Amino acid sequence: MKPALHLDENPCRPRHYKPAPCGALPKEGPEKQSLETGRTRLLLTGVLFALAFVVIGFRLVDLTVLKGSDVKLGHAHVRPRTELARADIVDRNGVLLARTLESEALVAYPKLVDDAAEAARKLVTVLPDLNRQEVQAKLSSGRKYVRLKRQLTPDQQFAVNNLGIPGVKFETAGFRVYPKGELTSAVVGYADTADNKGLAGIERGLDDELKTSDDSVELSLDTRLQYILTEEIQAQIAAFSAEGGAGIIADANTGEIVALASLPSFDPNDMSGANEDNLFNRATLGTYEMGSVFKIFTTAMALDGHVTTLAGGYDATQPIHIGRFTIHDDHAKHRWLSVPEIFIYSSNIGAAKMAVDAGADRQRDFLGRLGLLAEPKVELPEIGRPGWPRAWHLVNTMTIAFGHGISVSPLQMVTAVSAVVNGGVLHRATFLKYPEDYRPAGVRVLSRQTSEDMRRLLRLVVEQGTGKFAAAPGYLVGGKTGTAEKVDGRGYAKKQLLSSFVGVFPITEPRYVIMVSIDQPHANAKSMGEATGGWVAAPAVSRIIQRMAPIVGIQPVDEESPEIRRALLVDFAPSLGRKIAAN
Amino acid sequence: MSVFRLATWGWLAVVGLAGFATFEMKRQVAQVDDELGRVNRQIDADRDQLRVLSAEWSYLTQPSRLDQLRQRHLALVPVTRAQLGSLDQIPFRSGETVSSAVASAPPSPSAPGLAATRLPGGANLASVKPGAGR
Repeated sequence: MKPALHLDENPCRPRHYKPAPCGALPKEGPEKQSLETGRTRLLLTGVLFALAFVVIGFRLVDLTVLKGSDVKLGHAHVRPRTELARADIVDRNGVLLARTLESEALVAYPKLVDDAAEAARKLVTVLPDLNRQEVQAKLSSGRKYVRLKRQLTPDQQFAVNNLGIPGVKFETAGFRVYPKGELTSAVVGYADTADNKGLAGIERGLDDELKTSDDSVELSLDTRLQYILTEEIQAQIAAFSAEGGAGIIADANTGEIVALASLPSFDPNDMSGANEDNLFNRATLGTYEMGSVFKIFTTAMALDGHVTTLAGGYDATQPIHIGRFTIHDDHAKHRWLSVPEIFIYSSNIGAAKMAVDAGADRQRDFLGRLGLLAEPKVELPEIGRPGWPRAWHLVNTMTIAFGHGISVSPLQMVTAVSAVVNGGVLHRATFLKYPEDYRPAGVRVLSRQTSEDMRRLLRLVVEQGTGKFAAAPGYLVGGKTGTAEKVDGRGYAKKQLLSSFVGVFPITEPRYVIMVSIDQPHANAKSMGEATGGWVAAPAVSRIIQRMAPIVGIQPVDEESPEIRRALLVDFAPSLGRKIAAN
Repeated sequence: MSVFRLATWGWLAVVGLAGFATFEMKRQVAQVDDELGRVNRQIDADRDQLRVLSAEWSYLTQPSRLDQLRQRHLALVPVTRAQLGSLDQIPFRSGETVSSAVASAPPSPSAPGLAATRLPGGANLASVKPGAGR
């Protein structure tokens, strides 16, 4: 560009002469060539930059104006899980049953404490419930670390902090609370909060889930029904000075356990009162010879296998002698009994003959299908193993027909009875809530017809047979009594009974199966010297149903209406038919 | 030359303004961030409080305790069967005829309770007063 500069600075240039910006353009030749190249390059770079700015501009408009509301700048604040975190346990309605709360604990490092006696004296002035000698002993022990007190209130923490004792510190610790205490302890169980470990019940059975889950665990329990069940069983235990009792309310169509009681019970908030007896879950871990309630299965088996029909019957005139046993009837009629009569009068002789007719193989197969011969798989770890003879002789077939020589848990009973009455489909028992209106698949174990026949028979027991006290007018209760003599050493103890009742309601379309077992009830004057299932357990079932029906939304019906009469009609033996017509 | 000088000053002013704006924005963000932290801590504290309070609520609403309180302070009793019924069980006024209503609701086996024209068990509705189950 020298020529241009040269021209521009020429002091002798004409006044109006303005040099071209780049001086005179060379017309031809290599100079013009290189100038053109430079211009092109400059233009290209300029266009590129302009494009880049346009892109950035568009992006800016896009982010701020168009997408501005979509972009989330903040994010939900989540606290990190601590090692002691443990999920809540709630019932089917969301009622809190177990929760871990955090509190400050008072701890000390004895080696850092100068004067143990002085420190103990000071601590006791602000924490009067501490024992001074104990604290002093702990502080002067050579241990590296001692715990002085759990669950300090903020006030106490402030007061201790003000003392300024060296070596005394605070530590955040979790503790598990069970707001419903004893009421739900049989299912919920308890956990050791110091190492976040479930030790019994759901706390143990679902330990891993509780430790890792952020959501609460929803149980199938209903606290309201749990209270009704517990209270009524407690009342019977008190009335008959019994050892204990167990009860279960199950949803007949899903297998959900909505209430489960085992009494006496323990308080998971204060395990100092726990002992072997009240920690033992009688409803799931305890297995018992159930007695006559087993006739439900014997009769269902015989009807389902077409071994006999509702019109059939057996001779119950004479007791059966087999080996060293004699099988006789408690409510003996000394005559031929029809199948419905055998069921409602709970004839051992009739049931035994029915089972022999069906055969041992069929019996074992049928009980196995109902899940009575194997441990049920549920979420609770306290599950009893059923007891039954490995060698299934004729005598076993006979005694098992009326519920002796085989021991099962109440949990297995309600599961099996549910299958018998709900149309014949077995559902695995569960302690976890199913979604609303969810119907688990289940396994068909007997025909629809057999199930319907069994419902009629169960209704008859309450209307005319041994279970009259279970009646709850309007709610169409069906059921079966059972009174078993408890095994005492080698033989059966006449005076030690397990009195049970299995109830189903409403029998026309079963929704709930309720079992109540009272352990070793003692007859009293009010029960006219009786301590059988019909006197001890059946009244409790009646009261439970009357109290729970409004809660679960079951409407009372007119039991005498022709439609219901027709639906529950059973064709009896002619002799009894006349008797019923006269009633 | 003065034109060139003016442009320089102009740009300097723009740079200064931009710098100040950036600083001011950053300061405000820091302030809002502090506020966020404070609110989050407050949320944590409130959640803790809620956890404790709802546990206490569950403890205080134990069925046995409610039952005792009910006995002490209220004249309420559990609902009994005599207090439950459906609309078709309500008797007609003397002027009305029953036949038309019954014809519209024929008895069906699937819903036995609804077809009944009297209360289950034969209870007379007129005699049922609130609290009659006591």
